[in-house]
Amino acid sequence: MLNQWFLIGALALVTYLSRVIGLEFMSRWKMNPTLRLYFNYVPIAIIAALLVKQIVLPFHGGLTLSIPVLLSCIGTAVMILLTKRFLPSVIVGVVIGVLFRYFFS
Amino acid sequence: MLDQKKAALKTAGTEALPLAIAIAAYGMSYGVLATQVHFSLLTTVAMSVFVFSGSAQLVTVAMLAGGAGTASILLTVMLLNLRNLLYGAALSEGLAPAKKWTRLLAFGISDEPFVLSTARFKKVGPDPFYFAVVTGIFYIAWIFAALFGALIGDQLDPQKWGLDLAFPATFAALLVPGLKGKPIIGTALAAVILTLVMELIKPGNELTIIMVGLFAPLVGLYLHRRGRAHA
Repeated sequence: MLNQWFLIGALALVTYLSRVIGLEFMSRWKMNPTLRLYFNYVPIAIIAALLVKQIVLPFHGGLTLSIPVLLSCIGTAVMILLTKRFLPSVIVGVVIGVLFRYFFS
Repeated sequence: MLDQKKAALKTAGTEALPLAIAIAAYGMSYGVLATQVHFSLLTTVAMSVFVFSGSAQLVTVAMLAGGAGTASILLTVMLLNLRNLLYGAALSEGLAPAKKWTRLLAFGISDEPFVLSTARFKKVGPDPFYFAVVTGIFYIAWIFAALFGALIGDQLDPQKWGLDLAFPATFAALLVPGLKGKPIIGTALAAVILTLVMELIKPGNELTIIMVGLFAPLVGLYLHRRGRAHA
């Protein structure tokens, strides 16, 4: 519990600092366009990495593919491309994974 | 003057509302996921109140679920937050009339307010009031959505309802719609490959996310540059 409060405080601090530093100081610089692009690509890379880490899990010192998680992701991806709606897509993805677990494991 | 404020309030409200619904959807997912990593109702909502950042909070709970430590979470979030520097720099002129209040308004800087406000400033010039209304609406949506998500998450049996699957599904829904253009797709592919390699070398690697966040975007930059050279 104390750890959670510490984490919240630290996250709040680093996040607020990134906002206020940009606003107060960076505006005086002319930012390099390459750096701009780099900053924009970072979230894509991190989200993709998190996704892979959830599909491929450590197992007895090696890696194992989680089929329900993979199917969940594919289902969500297809749904959001078709419907462009966030929450329904997540729910459909979860349901697909749950159904797979229920019938096949 | 008052009429002008009223008009700005109305525009801000209409423009923010559709996005507020989307933000509430992320916020609810965050709330459900936070309870899965043993955050209480209070700490779940507190994180939304004090941090107010979709990407930072969702990445934090996902990394906690994967067993990451505080240091690697903070480093990853700092990396994610780099884009706030850009947003702040781009918004500073439009927020300047707020004077000493700009430091309070800074708390609201993130993806969605940035998109709406830069469009607004282009149209009518600096308008901190518009920014304040938009971020205020998002802030309220974000906090209540987290509360609602945490209440649901607390009631459900995670394994039975597949709440653990809500992590990957949420991240797939965040990632996939943005995959447009060679540099971004290249960044994502590089991230996938690099993650697999690092996890093969050491399963459950603590450094994977940070390393991928640092290096995969370089592939995107390379593809961007090559694309321009060919054009």
